[in-house]
Amino acid sequence: MLVDDEPMVATALRSFLELETAWRILTFSDPLEALETLRNQNIDVIVSDFMMPNVDGVSFLRQSREIQPVATRILLTGYADKTNAIRAINEAGLYYYLQKPWDNEQLRMVIRNGIERAALFREIDRRVGDLDGAHKELQDLRRKLIRTFL
Amino acid sequence: MTDDRLTEAVNAARLATLGTLVAGVAHELNTPLGAINSNHDVLRRALTRLQNILADDVVDETELAEVRRIVRALDDIMVVNNLAVDRLNQLVSSLRTFGRPDRAERDVIDIHEGIDSALAILGHDLKGRVEVVRDFEELPRIECFPHEINQVFMNLLVNATQAIAGRGTITIRTRRADGGVLIEVEDTGSGIAPKDLELIFEPGFTTRGSRIGMGMGLAIARQIVDRHTGRISVRSTCGAGTTFSVWLPQQLR
Repeated sequence: MLVDDEPMVATALRSFLELETAWRILTFSDPLEALETLRNQNIDVIVSDFMMPNVDGVSFLRQSREIQPVATRILLTGYADKTNAIRAINEAGLYYYLQKPWDNEQLRMVIRNGIERAALFREIDRRVGDLDGAHKELQDLRRKLIRTFL
Repeated sequence: MTDDRLTEAVNAARLATLGTLVAGVAHELNTPLGAINSNHDVLRRALTRLQNILADDVVDETELAEVRRIVRALDDIMVVNNLAVDRLNQLVSSLRTFGRPDRAERDVIDIHEGIDSALAILGHDLKGRVEVVRDFEELPRIECFPHEINQVFMNLLVNATQAIAGRGTITIRTRRADGGVLIEVEDTGSGIAPKDLELIFEPGFTTRGSRIGMGMGLAIARQIVDRHTGRISVRSTCGAGTTFSVWLPQQLR
């Protein structure tokens, strides 16, 4: 998911990623629309601009974290300032902070790692779910044993 | 202040303004440059892929699908590059309008151009924070010293931008009035205390500390408007906002 109020940035990123990868890319110029999509679709990586109307990049990433905590969050900004970088790390659980103008190769690598990270989290969630299920089964079995023999 | 001294002061103020805005302008340039930079890289990759596909003079079905993918990317690149070049042209043109190095000192101009160029230069400071409402009426062209009048617009807009701490609105209203034009810059900022309102056009008055160059913006604006035999005034409500009004005659006397 690419979110930038400048269509030229979002489109440039998309044309690079579509040419070089097989990832499914969604672009948004309005962060509020992106949040709506996050409520309905699983997303692995979110790349967001910082300076946007309606809601800034850090607030957008913070809200997206509440909706999909597993999605990897990356800030791509031309507005490099320490305060907002710290805000992004602390408030939005930022995975990576990239500066404009960006390097395509670095961007691809960061996103690829972000996808792997999200996949690992999902795998852990799935296995924890399996363990929970197995644990519940064992408890049920134990209860049955107690009822039958004690 | 004599005309020469005023010209000197205006030039100094213009340079000071551009100096403080240069980081914002650089950022504004960065967006289209970043897009063009990325597109150039994509173009290089696309060309290499096409060369590889065509190397054996045979294009099979899989390669044809790949060519279609590349063409789609190239199509996007064209659109983005057009947008980026337009943006760069607009910015350069705004900087030129604001500086007007190639224009006669005294000229007949459309003041909306000056306001729009100031807004374009201020774009970075406004973006995502301040909504700008351009309530423009069709106006006659006016005779003036354009680089001075543009400096007035810039000072009023910088002031309005700084008066708004978080999010807010700046409304710029232009009207025909009394054989000239009336320009109002209204902000929804913090407002000015009544005791300060009388001092606001005095040289050196500022509520933002004593950095060099601070406190001259409105004093210079008044000097420029006086030189054009115009009028400048202010009304403000603490906590609600401020409106500066500038009236300029259609012809210089």
